[in-house]
Amino acid sequence: MSRKLWLSTVTVAIALLAVFAAGAAAKSAKVGATGGTLNVDTSTDVDYTDPALDYLSTGWEIEYSTCLKLMNYPDANGAKGSQLIPEAAAGFPKVSSGGKVYDFTVNAGFTKFSNGQAVTAANFKAAFDRDADPKMQSPAVPFFSDIKGSDKSPVSGVKVNGKHLVITLTKASPDFLARMAMPFFCAIPTNLAHDPNGVLAPPSAGPYYISDRVPNKSITIKKNPNYKGKRPHNVNQINYNVGNSLDAIYLRVQQGASDYAAQGIPPASYAEAAQKYGINKGQFWVKPQLGVSYFAFNHDRSLFKGANGTALAKAVNYAIDRPALLAQSGYLAGKRTDQVLPPGLAGFRDAALYPLKRPDISTAKKWMAKSGVKDGQTIEYYTSNRGAAPLAAQILQFNLKQIGLNVNTHLFARAVQIDKEGTRGEPFDITSEGWIADYADPYDFINVLLSGDNLHASNNNNVAYFNDPTFNKAMRSASLLAGAKRYSTYGNLDVTMMAKNPPWAARNNFNDRILVSKRVGCFTFNSTYSVDLAALCIK
Amino acid sequence: MFRYLVRRLIWAFVLFIAVTIVTYVIFYAIPADPARLACGQRATAECIKRASHYLGTDRPLYVQYGKFFGRLMPVAGIVEGNPHLKTPSLGRSFTNRLSVNYVVLNAAPVTASLVFGGAIFWMMIALPVGILSALRPRSLLDRIAMVFVLVGISAHPVWIGLLFAYFFGFKAGIFPITGYCDFVNPSGDCGGPVQWAYHLILPWTTFAILFAALYVRMIRANVMETLGEDYVRTARAKGAPEWLVLRSHVLRNALLPVVTMLGMDIGIALGGAIFTESVYGLPGLGKTAIQAIENFDLPVTQGVVVFATLCIITFNLLVDLLYAWIDPRIRLT
Repeated sequence: MSRKLWLSTVTVAIALLAVFAAGAAAKSAKVGATGGTLNVDTSTDVDYTDPALDYLSTGWEIEYSTCLKLMNYPDANGAKGSQLIPEAAAGFPKVSSGGKVYDFTVNAGFTKFSNGQAVTAANFKAAFDRDADPKMQSPAVPFFSDIKGSDKSPVSGVKVNGKHLVITLTKASPDFLARMAMPFFCAIPTNLAHDPNGVLAPPSAGPYYISDRVPNKSITIKKNPNYKGKRPHNVNQINYNVGNSLDAIYLRVQQGASDYAAQGIPPASYAEAAQKYGINKGQFWVKPQLGVSYFAFNHDRSLFKGANGTALAKAVNYAIDRPALLAQSGYLAGKRTDQVLPPGLAGFRDAALYPLKRPDISTAKKWMAKSGVKDGQTIEYYTSNRGAAPLAAQILQFNLKQIGLNVNTHLFARAVQIDKEGTRGEPFDITSEGWIADYADPYDFINVLLSGDNLHASNNNNVAYFNDPTFNKAMRSASLLAGAKRYSTYGNLDVTMMAKNPPWAARNNFNDRILVSKRVGCFTFNSTYSVDLAALCIK
Repeated sequence: MFRYLVRRLIWAFVLFIAVTIVTYVIFYAIPADPARLACGQRATAECIKRASHYLGTDRPLYVQYGKFFGRLMPVAGIVEGNPHLKTPSLGRSFTNRLSVNYVVLNAAPVTASLVFGGAIFWMMIALPVGILSALRPRSLLDRIAMVFVLVGISAHPVWIGLLFAYFFGFKAGIFPITGYCDFVNPSGDCGGPVQWAYHLILPWTTFAILFAALYVRMIRANVMETLGEDYVRTARAKGAPEWLVLRSHVLRNALLPVVTMLGMDIGIALGGAIFTESVYGLPGLGKTAIQAIENFDLPVTQGVVVFATLCIITFNLLVDLLYAWIDPRIRLT
């Protein structure tokens, strides 16, 4: 009797569940069929949607579609997409006083903020003043510290004169215009609160605006009804769904429940995606990013000092197996390189300096002999304990063993590694690092990562502690140049430095591997901001 | 009873302080600077200095802990001689400056939905299967149940979750692959009780399998043990019908430990069902804790720890009180 009762109960429960699931599934299918809306999945939330605070690539991708900037990158693929053009500025600024004064004429009659307010020069000044407000703790500060009075808000070096926005620098900085294309400096309403916690849905004057954000859950982006500019604005709405695992996102995009995997898919699935959808044929896109991965040699350590150190640095550059190192990051993760500047960045000059296809152990051994380093010497190596880093450490260990070096690997949480390697005097010989461009200019790679002028007791970006007076001088000179001369000088500097006194062993440049659903058309990739959301459309 | 309650509450307070201090100390043993992370890849010394001051990480550890504890107390102004009530605060996230109260209070209902729903699922499986297995030991049903127990205990929830998401979500399209819909507040098209439950069926099942397996084994063992007790034999000898023996003599005694386990398991799981939440992208406490640890976000990590500690303490206390109520032999002193 009791068994029958249990069986009946379980049967009824299962039947109820099935009916319930079928009903809910039908409703869900209806919901997913709304036209004009693009669904985007991201595994982790953006840190902020406030332009003064946001400093992550996923957030900048969104802000590329929402921000109105003085200068911007066009909605175009390839090299064209990395050439600065005026956006809210009527044209390129008038530069005077030996490159210290930039006079922009703001002409943004083609748009208004999403809340209906007009855009004037004052809205750009408001962005500088807000970024400079110590209360905001904005990470933008290093990018405009050369503006007069930038340590206080309002910034005295940014003045509004009618339609003119006049910016005065403390020294000539030819990369200034490139920095102005960063989302930190996009137009904001003059009355936008200086809230250190950030504004979740600030009004914006670009093609789109963030209409709603529920942290750790969703971001809703809508077409700015007041935007009449030339930039594309195809879909009506973009819904960001936050928090799914990469595995789930991969399935959802294939199923069509999501249209774009904004933070990628599981590394092991890229090969399958490439096989299923082909490469750059509509659904699976592989595009080069402006970034580089490298082993930095600690020049504060005796091993890498002087002529002997240079010989050892060259030996390592010949000994490492770049294809094997790159393969650890998954299929099509990047392109092997032996240079600092990434291809696609203005100034890059391709040069065959070190072996990219396989290690050249015999040449490496010759340089080892010149370095005077004894067989069996131990190298202290710092790297991260996540992703492909421990695997790459094993490859480095094997490669350097071939030339008589023992690698002692220290694995750290990524944040700990950054802290340790950035502290001068930390006992490592080689550290593994990567860099993605903040803005498309060679200064952001060469001067930021390798100039000895930027060395401090802690928090160094130059984790090679490279401090060669000749190259320091060359970097300073290059940073003051403008136009074609600037780029060719940087390109030559890159090649000369890596050939004569390599501060690093550059490993590879990065690829952005993008999976979109079959609904998505009009795909445009910007090398600085990744997928151009404003340009995406639904077939 | 009152003295027992007071004693338990004092111990709960001590435990709470110990747990939060340990979390603080562990965090500061890790040589990573949250201020450096806050300033991004182009962090300058000046930015880091300002960020440290803003985050409060430039102060000694005991000062930071004191401030944390002060914020957490529901009363302020005691030192100034002006005591007044205030909302306890867990501070703000180092990573995105969100209020930790907001983060925890938004994540907690998701975890609660998963855990309470999952508990109903696992009890729906474990009770009938465990009891029937005990009543018919070594029968076909019992053997199948034991295979289920073995698989349930051995298979990792992540693996089960991925299989379910692939087959029932991706291949069959019966259930959503991942995601969460609010029970009350719709976000976009997703919301309301039906969508809430529909999105949780696979997570509930995944979450329930491990516990169901454990509970089947425990219920089966308890029932079998109780069936051999003298008072059960006496009841049968006195001619009591089998269903009455089972209900009044066997189950009432055999399920006492189950109540204890259930209370403790729910309390622990409320601290974050990490694996299930991660697989199904549920924005609950487990997922929040993982992200906070990865980002060295002490306030959020501490917030989840505080919440989990409170849940465990509360549920343990509830279980103890419930136990005394269910079993008259137990007296709380």
